[in-house]
Amino acid sequence: MIKTIKVALLALIGLAFTATAYADFTFVSWGGAYTMSQQKGYIDTWGPVKNGTTKVSVENYNGGLGEVKAQVESGNVTWDVVDILPVDAINGCDEGLLEELDFSSWEKAPNGDSFLESIPDNGTGVGGTISPCAAPQIWWTYVIIYDPKAFPEKKPKKMKDFFDVKKFPGKRGVHTWPQAVLEMALVADGVKPSKVNEVLQGEGGPDRAFAKLEDLKGHVVHWSAGAQPLELVSSGEVVMSIVYNGRAGAAILSEGASFDYVWEGQVLDGDWIAIPKGSKNKAEAIEFLKHATTCASQAEQARYITYGPMRSCGLDVIKKGEPWFHNGIAVLPHMPNTKKRLKKSILTDPVWWADHNAELKEQWAAWMAGNK
Amino acid sequence: MNQTAKGEILTTDGIPLKVSLRRSERINKFRAFALVLPLTLFIIITFVIPIIAMLTRSIDDKQINTVFPKTFEIYKQWDRKKLPTEEMYATIFGEIVNAEKRAIGKASTRMNYSRSGWKSLIKKSKRKFKKIKEGPYKEQMIAVDKRWGKIEFWKALGEMVDPYTFGYFLNAVDLKYDSNKEIIGYFLNAVDLKYDSNKEIIRQPEKRRIYNYTWYKTVKISVLVTLFCLILGYPIAHLLATLPLKYSNLLMIFVLLPFWTSLLVRTVSWIIILMKKGVFNSILVWAGVIADENRMQLIYNETGTLIAMTQILLPFMVLPLYSVMKTIPPSYMRAALNLGAQPMHAFYRVYMPQTVPGISAGGLLVFVLAIGYFITPELVGGADGQLIGHWIAYHLKSTLNWGLCAALGTILLVVMLTLYWVYNKIVGIENIKLG
Repeated sequence: MIKTIKVALLALIGLAFTATAYADFTFVSWGGAYTMSQQKGYIDTWGPVKNGTTKVSVENYNGGLGEVKAQVESGNVTWDVVDILPVDAINGCDEGLLEELDFSSWEKAPNGDSFLESIPDNGTGVGGTISPCAAPQIWWTYVIIYDPKAFPEKKPKKMKDFFDVKKFPGKRGVHTWPQAVLEMALVADGVKPSKVNEVLQGEGGPDRAFAKLEDLKGHVVHWSAGAQPLELVSSGEVVMSIVYNGRAGAAILSEGASFDYVWEGQVLDGDWIAIPKGSKNKAEAIEFLKHATTCASQAEQARYITYGPMRSCGLDVIKKGEPWFHNGIAVLPHMPNTKKRLKKSILTDPVWWADHNAELKEQWAAWMAGNK
Repeated sequence: MNQTAKGEILTTDGIPLKVSLRRSERINKFRAFALVLPLTLFIIITFVIPIIAMLTRSIDDKQINTVFPKTFEIYKQWDRKKLPTEEMYATIFGEIVNAEKRAIGKASTRMNYSRSGWKSLIKKSKRKFKKIKEGPYKEQMIAVDKRWGKIEFWKALGEMVDPYTFGYFLNAVDLKYDSNKEIIGYFLNAVDLKYDSNKEIIRQPEKRRIYNYTWYKTVKISVLVTLFCLILGYPIAHLLATLPLKYSNLLMIFVLLPFWTSLLVRTVSWIIILMKKGVFNSILVWAGVIADENRMQLIYNETGTLIAMTQILLPFMVLPLYSVMKTIPPSYMRAALNLGAQPMHAFYRVYMPQTVPGISAGGLLVFVLAIGYFITPELVGGADGQLIGHWIAYHLKSTLNWGLCAALGTILLVVMLTLYWVYNKIVGIENIKLG
């Protein structure tokens, strides 16, 4: 027995060594269909990969700054590029865990906009980057989907329908953290999407959202992993659910599921790509980021997943090339950030959430505990 | 062999036998120590040091003091009734402008725990203060961000003045320091370790109280899972130990097979079995036990968590029980019955006491594993699935509040050690047997 364990351990150690010995460039992301879209969208098409001078090894992680922090503080940085959430991009940059980038020489949009100007916000102007350490990736959203069969007559159209359990009876799927739910509650309470952040961040904003959430009391099934809400809706466990739009898009486009979206009040959040401070391949990593953020790469990625390219020129490329999805279906109906949908959506404010994350997460947990 | 006047025995070269023996033993001892040295080092590096690091991190508050040392010196004289003087503004201004970026980023994260908003305030200030060339600073700082003019933000700094804090532990049990007190004393005066009653502890606002409830829920679920495992595992182990070898081997495979299956696969299988339109509910509806519209909610709540965790942890109960029961000769029970004991009585008086070491080992194993469980309750528990492990992971990754993680971990450790101690008092630790 002990001998077998020993052999197994040695084999594992050996494997670990070979793995590190051959990988000269490490790209870290979330795994699954999303990482596959990154692989096909811009890793495989990157010059040094195509001509075989660099091998990119793709690793998965569960988000958060824990690993980056541990690597930077121990001085042994093994990651070169990491896909990161806005809050972590901002915190990581502040704490010096990520490299700062100079975007001045990065690809301009075809209409002449500079690199940063080609990243719009929700309908009012230029969004730019959220942090000097973060290069744009995609918009993903928390959006409502429902099974049209569950509502044979009147279909839910607006955010307030999600909160109206009398008009649309049945359980709702909601995730187990407060981000996006509070914004949605305010939209349901009659706040214009463009004003939501202002109200939420003002005096008593979160309490107003929690008050609206009382409407859902006893009608919620909570999910914690991204695949769960689709299962919940298709199995009839709930009639409507908040989902990640990319998951819903994949289910509809690739598996033929029949879900409909409620776009109003969707909450946009970004994914950014960044370089951990002290990366051993910093120069190469910057070149990689430049390639990953071209209009063409951004559009190419959308062939494999329905997350919205952050640079608007990516959407323009898709528009010209429809049907764009890799299996020949039009992808724009599933893109969260067309101009029209952007106007109805809320851009989550990562700075404010970074400040209030712990406080609201605790309040949200207390709400969940009392909501049975 | 010689003998001195004092009666000591000497070896042939005149050294006392005791000394000579000690010498040769020393080499042996050294050899023996060298053999266990790798293990000792391994334990020290992977076990002792992390635990010490965790304990210190849970009360350590020095980090911020190294960024704002001068400000805190002045802070101690502040009366906390109205906004600080220009002197304090000027000092903190200087310390923000001159601080190293990474250090101040960490400090702002820490400050944000005591009041939400500090993080973005410090960050914004670090960026904008560069434009302010000369004093007086107070008005200019308030012009940059009006939060600089709010006394609550200044008061929240009070709990960070000391290099050590119990704030993280307080947070872990829904308490906090009252930052509205007019004077905040210094809890452990670093020099004379004197308790200062001015630093008052109050409860968290009601809407934020979640940790005590989580502790209660975690312990409750762990106790119940341990109990269910015992109830289910005891008869299985007994059967395993008493059946003829060819049947018991087959049964053993049934016990071990799920053990070798991926944890996630088993967890997700339970979702499919227990969901509203899942296998179990559908069978009941088909059999006419319940009506179609009355399908039971068995998953995404506490019930689901208990069922899934019990199934997953069951082998940890069965195996120690089995190994103990295997050593109990069947003749004992036969003798008891032969001497006239009722079967129940014989079981209770003769058989069960001999299985106590197995019950203890299995119980402790299951309980220890259950109390730190994370992924299964997270997936099947819905709103009830956030046990203490969830909060440790959350603060480790999302808020980077490693002090709070350390405090939660320390409490978990203390709970376990207390249980162990109680167990030792009642049952005796020599009565534990893993195999």
